[in-house]
Amino acid sequence: MIDLIPLMVIIPIICALLLNILHGKNKTVKYFAIIVAIVVPIIPLLANYGLHYFGGHVPLIENSGLLSSLPSYISQTPIANFHLAITYSFESLQKIFIFFFGIVAFLAVFTSFNEMKRSSGAYGFLMFMGIAAVIAMLLSDDIFHMYIFFEIAALVQVGIVLASNTEDNYEAALKYLILGSIGGPILLIGIGFLLGMVGSVNITDIVFAVKNNLVNPLSSVFLLSFILIFFGWLYSAGLPPFHTIKSSIYSKALPSGGALLQAFSVMVFVSFGIAILRIFSVIPYSKILIIVFSALAMILSITMAITQTDFRRILGFLAVGELGYIGLGFGIGTQLSVTAGLFQALNEIIITALLFIGFGTIYYLTKVSDIRKLGGLIGVYPKTAIMILIGGLAMAGVPPLNVFQSKLMLIQSALKAGIPELAIFMIIMSIVTFMTFTKVFHSLYLKPKPRDLELAEEGIPKSATISIAVLLIISIVLGVLFKFITTPIFNFVGGIL
Amino acid sequence: MIDTQLMALLTSGAFIIIGLFAAIFLDNIIKKIIGIAFIEEGANLFLLTLGYKPGGVVPIFMPGMDAKWFAANSAYPLPQALVLTSIVIGASTLAVMLAIAMVLYKKHGTLSTSEILGDK
Repeated sequence: MIDLIPLMVIIPIICALLLNILHGKNKTVKYFAIIVAIVVPIIPLLANYGLHYFGGHVPLIENSGLLSSLPSYISQTPIANFHLAITYSFESLQKIFIFFFGIVAFLAVFTSFNEMKRSSGAYGFLMFMGIAAVIAMLLSDDIFHMYIFFEIAALVQVGIVLASNTEDNYEAALKYLILGSIGGPILLIGIGFLLGMVGSVNITDIVFAVKNNLVNPLSSVFLLSFILIFFGWLYSAGLPPFHTIKSSIYSKALPSGGALLQAFSVMVFVSFGIAILRIFSVIPYSKILIIVFSALAMILSITMAITQTDFRRILGFLAVGELGYIGLGFGIGTQLSVTAGLFQALNEIIITALLFIGFGTIYYLTKVSDIRKLGGLIGVYPKTAIMILIGGLAMAGVPPLNVFQSKLMLIQSALKAGIPELAIFMIIMSIVTFMTFTKVFHSLYLKPKPRDLELAEEGIPKSATISIAVLLIISIVLGVLFKFITTPIFNFVGGIL
Repeated sequence: MIDTQLMALLTSGAFIIIGLFAAIFLDNIIKKIIGIAFIEEGANLFLLTLGYKPGGVVPIFMPGMDAKWFAANSAYPLPQALVLTSIVIGASTLAVMLAIAMVLYKKHGTLSTSEILGDK
């Protein structure tokens, strides 16, 4: 079943292309998209762990026939270990992430069909292309391949925002593209420096070259490569100085789109974060740099969230701020902290999707996103309000929900690593997140309903309510049975550090 | 004698600096987009330069060629393959940016970034 590995990317791509062709045929688009969205999280459960070499080109050292025909300066040197083909690596981490991301993607696709009057094949194309791109990034062991799919994911994000028909969406999309078109080539040049030094863009080959002293990790070119790739990572993940535009992009998308965009960002953050850890952790101060930017993301995003009055912007900033916790886990750099960071990433995909879809229900109802003009909604849909409240408490790290477990692990890892300041910092930030969420929840649901607030007759789409409930159940289950997730991730992290 | 690789590297550096200047400091959207195209082409030229081999041959193995001679004399083909992909991605990004610029021009009647984006 190792042949199933590339299908995790190929099936969403084919689905995306077919949806584009089928645009206009509403029912066909809807049912076809939902069927494929169900298949996406199932494939990783069926696939075996292993490596997939595209074209069947194994490393030279595993192909004795070809190796013997090559000159000695290739066959008898470390070059023989290098990978000739693009390689996909499927391990426990990829299995867990693709499975849960697949569920979130399915719920986003499911919800999106109720957001639009007609099922759009073009919108479906964008969603599935993005799904394929981020899965490919997580599977790929090739940093250039990751870059290509990152660029595709960035274009898809812009497309989803453009297709959302919200106010000023074109302006936000242009801003994001301009910044991306600077960040992308900078990332590419960093990859180019690695290629120049090692002769390969395969991450395992680069790590091999560094560990076997084929490359001097303290050379200026290697350091420059780190800085450029790190800058690209900041852009791709939405860390400072890109946190404002990232949150703006989230707020311009439809609720299902916002959930998907945030999931894309987390997956990109994790994919490049793992690559950076594997390649550049030998550089002194590289982990400190990750900590600094992650802490900045938390401080700036949460500070900006407090000052906003648009609940979609607030949620966008909170989502970016939560990324900082993942970065702190990576920055501390121990097996426990990286595991905690990855578990936090998984939890964030689920919880922010819940909140984006949950708060989206208010937008369906009122077409208003200014918290000063809203209120009293708990009397209209009390069950939805309670589910959103639990989701918000989960994001803030209230026990026994999933984010509590990952934040507790992060705090424990900071204490074990001898950095109690970071543990205190994370606790303070969680409290501020809790306060910000409470303020928003009060404004939307608990304060008296403004007299001029009109509610849509059609009410909240059932698909949105179902999606919120499913995500909430996952959050509770992950909070209780977290060991089933953290143990395989812990073993995976032990293998890469 | 001019070092081809060094000159190509300097040219790519110049492309990137000019592009960055245009993308950051110029106000007109089209000029910004042209600047971004400069940055992308600079990055592509940089990658191509990495695979340059003085006196090397095109990395296409033709019938009758000696494998060892080819391995010793051909240019490194990987950067060329990467650049080909990168060009496609860059062209797609430029097309989307130009399309957005057209829509924004129709909406605002100007190509000035400061007027279109304002404090958004």
